[in-house]
Amino acid sequence: MDPTYNRGIAILRATFLTIVGIFTIFPLVWLIIGSLKTRHDALALPPRLIFTPVFDAYHKILAGGILNAFANSLTIGLTNVALALVIGVPAAYALSRMRGAVQENLSFWVLSIRMAPLFSVILPLYVLFKSLGLLDTRFAVALAHLSLTLPLTVWLLMTYFRGLPTELDDAAMIDGASPLQTLLYVIVPISRPMIASVAVVVFIFSWNEFLLAFFLTSRDAQTVPVVVAGLAGTMSFDWPLIAAVSVCSMLPAFLFVGVAQRHIVAGLASGAIK
Amino acid sequence: MTAAPRISLALAAIIATASGPALADTEVNILAFAPGFAWADMFGPSGTEKTDKLRAFEEAEGIVVNMEFADEETARQKVLLDLVNETGTYDLVMLGSDGAVQTFSYAGYLEPLDDYLDTAKDYFDADQVYPQFLEANTVNGKLWALPYYSFGAGVIYRKDLFEKYGIDEFPGTVAELEDVLRTIKAGLEADGMDDVHTLTMRGAPGEEPSLDLAGFVYADAGFPAWFEGGPTTPEDIKANKAKPIFTSEFRGGFERFVEWSKEFGPPGIATHTWVDMMNLYGQGQAVVLMPSAINGFAALGGTQDENVRDHTGFAPSPVGASGKPVQSFWTFSVGVSAQSANKEAAYKTLAFLTGEQAMQGFAESIGWPYSTFPSITRGEVLTAKWPTELLDQVEASYEQANPHYFPYIPELSAFMERIGTAASEAISGEKSVEEALNDLQNWAEERMERAGYYE
Amino acid sequence: MLWRLWFIAPMVVALATVVLFPTVFLFWMSTQHWLVTDPDQFYVGAENFTRLLSAKDFWQSLRVTVAYLVLGTAIMLVIGLGLALSFANTKSGTLLRVMIVMPLIIPPVVAGFTWRFLLNGEIGFIGAFLLPAVGFEANLLADPKGALFSVVIADVWSRTPFMFLILLAALQGIPRDLYEAARVDGAGPVAQFMRITLPMLRGPLVVALLFRIIDAINTFELIYVMTKGGPGRATQVLSIFGWRTAFQELDFGQAASLGIVMLAITLVGALIMFRRFLRPAGQDV
Repeated sequence: MDPTYNRGIAILRATFLTIVGIFTIFPLVWLIIGSLKTRHDALALPPRLIFTPVFDAYHKILAGGILNAFANSLTIGLTNVALALVIGVPAAYALSRMRGAVQENLSFWVLSIRMAPLFSVILPLYVLFKSLGLLDTRFAVALAHLSLTLPLTVWLLMTYFRGLPTELDDAAMIDGASPLQTLLYVIVPISRPMIASVAVVVFIFSWNEFLLAFFLTSRDAQTVPVVVAGLAGTMSFDWPLIAAVSVCSMLPAFLFVGVAQRHIVAGLASGAIK
Repeated sequence: MTAAPRISLALAAIIATASGPALADTEVNILAFAPGFAWADMFGPSGTEKTDKLRAFEEAEGIVVNMEFADEETARQKVLLDLVNETGTYDLVMLGSDGAVQTFSYAGYLEPLDDYLDTAKDYFDADQVYPQFLEANTVNGKLWALPYYSFGAGVIYRKDLFEKYGIDEFPGTVAELEDVLRTIKAGLEADGMDDVHTLTMRGAPGEEPSLDLAGFVYADAGFPAWFEGGPTTPEDIKANKAKPIFTSEFRGGFERFVEWSKEFGPPGIATHTWVDMMNLYGQGQAVVLMPSAINGFAALGGTQDENVRDHTGFAPSPVGASGKPVQSFWTFSVGVSAQSANKEAAYKTLAFLTGEQAMQGFAESIGWPYSTFPSITRGEVLTAKWPTELLDQVEASYEQANPHYFPYIPELSAFMERIGTAASEAISGEKSVEEALNDLQNWAEERMERAGYYE
Repeated sequence: MLWRLWFIAPMVVALATVVLFPTVFLFWMSTQHWLVTDPDQFYVGAENFTRLLSAKDFWQSLRVTVAYLVLGTAIMLVIGLGLALSFANTKSGTLLRVMIVMPLIIPPVVAGFTWRFLLNGEIGFIGAFLLPAVGFEANLLADPKGALFSVVIADVWSRTPFMFLILLAALQGIPRDLYEAARVDGAGPVAQFMRITLPMLRGPLVVALLFRIIDAINTFELIYVMTKGGPGRATQVLSIFGWRTAFQELDFGQAASLGIVMLAITLVGALIMFRRFLRPAGQDV
């Protein structure tokens, strides 16, 4: 092909990626820098680019009750992943092996459940969890998150399972396997990458969610986003601390993106296309 | 009581009975905001400890005090959900005299405190408190909350910059102040000091500006100009079928607030809360802070700017066209939940947390010239820290205050929210003053109609 | 067969508890005169809905929501597609790709604060330093249009990676030989893009848009922490309007009716997309 044309494309691509790259990465870098400044330096203008990093903000996190919020977020996220998979995998599998109007309506119903705006379900959920005696427990938040993550899990896995050849099931069934055995020993093993990526998506969703966690928790079960939002409203606008908590809140993201990104892409891809 | 809460209440009762044996000590749960600042003498600088002072109280009374701190917004929402659902999680709730006290007392979610006053006089003696702060928490003839830190209106300003532009004295009236602000603005511009703003106030959407804005309206009209004739109770509004007057008498003060914000305020003022007000002043980026001077004192506490530290002056709030001063009057009120299982213990704790000892602790740890007890305003700590003249002026600001400078109606929170947002709209230029007030008026008429005021 | 029901039953039970109860409760709330400020609570039929639909605020919030949705989605599509095309045919740039995906995984609360802090007109690096340095003096967050633009930028920053990932996966799934065949037929890159790439992307695009629309209509915390819906009501999207109605104006009945209207809007929108584009999905891709 025309080489000047190719070079043009390459330059265009490089320029585009540079701009988008800076746009994406700069706020993150700024956040990390901010977490290492003193309060006074962080607010100084023009910004101080050369400064001695201080780790006060991180010490505050380690010393104070904020660590507990990380423990809460982690527990809630993992509980949520476990529930979403244990309930969602069989359901998605069953739905994927159904055809016709029932299947269609059911899957649309499952999808539509994501849609009720959160502000409007807060009061009902509050009333529900209060009557169950679950307010300010990690379990309540995990359950509430399930209302959003379970539909997502089922939806993504259902479309994926539908893409798997049914010959696999048939072969297993002919060998005398029950549907549960087929699912556990045939379907799940070959779907491991997809299930892993769904788990990651569910975890991240739960880790990031603010509104439900905000209302359903008070002292014991506060999550990281709730703490971040709370910090900004205190007397002292402690930007380094907010930034430090924010940086820490991205840790699982770093881990997951590093470890599982390939799977996420592959997983979302098959979920989306099929 | 409503149907849903009743059902959930029954369920909650079942669960409550099922859960564990009672402890020897009575537990009192509190929800409040500003950790490390409110009650730093009780819960330490992090808000998570218990000091000897608090432990002594706990031992003496056989009460365990569980404090939960949240940021202001969170605390308000939590209190709302807890009270509306009659959960009873919190025995003591943080309220604020600018809406919550009124709303929740009318709705029956709070316990009236009049009969408790004598039960813990050693901690909180109502006769020893500035009466205005109790009046601020009195709705419909009953006392619903006790005041923790509280404040009246005033001005904090930079004496050095006033002198620089040839102004020797802080003006006494709003009209004079407007001229002074104009002079300062011109001076700052001429000197190229474009990062210093003439005035800092607050104009964020929501209830944020309303406390101060209502003060401008009061000073301009001479009465709480929200409804025809200025009634401040639901009974009076009903009796006179008083309609909202946001497009007429309310307008003067509103317009002044908006115009000043636009002309003299920092460019971001339509998004500013008291925290921004405080920071701007503290960083030496504002000449005048008003009418909630307390935010200026807060700025003084944390500033690293020498000019701010050395050249700050205090002045009484200027008087408006009506001859009354611009108001900004607020109490950090704490009330007893009607659902509390231990109201006596809750009140005792409340009395301790708002009593003379607690305010003494507040004066020692924070040191603002505001206190709810005259004995502390004139006590050792504050007189050593502040000039007598300033303390006189602060006291005068309470005396001149009318805590009911806005109506004490159940709908107050909603009105505060709407009024503040209307101001933010007008300041940002999203709407003209005319449009913003027309919309406010229409909403208010409808809301009052629906609440049954004009039947 | 029966086993399918057993497999589905736990899901139905779980969703019924955490979704059905709140939804039924929501419908009931929407028929009530339920003001926290008013001890009387009673049935009012559709009054909450008629009042909502005649409220100026509702229509304004709807306009803001639509502007926010359309503007954000359009920018996201362009950047997302550009990124996907840039990365589709290369194994290099993994680090850059990972970095570009990062914002997706950051809590929206954190994203909102970061951008608010950057754009702040008094202390922000961009708002108070960079923009004035290039001669742009307006305070973005305090200007009605600027504030809307600001929340859109933060939204684009935080949500473009989702669009990118889906489109990238879809691009990588297009069989090479389709392009080979087109090239043999003499089709240039533009023609290839129009005739092969775009049609093959239709299914994934619809899914991405569907999730995006649901996501955008429910956006709350990003805007809440950045502007609280302000200045004034300039960035007051429907979810912020609902929040204010419920928790500041204490009108639970009205807020519930808004919740249902929003649910209806999304449902109808999703249903159309679902029926029109997705039902044959799998078959036509």
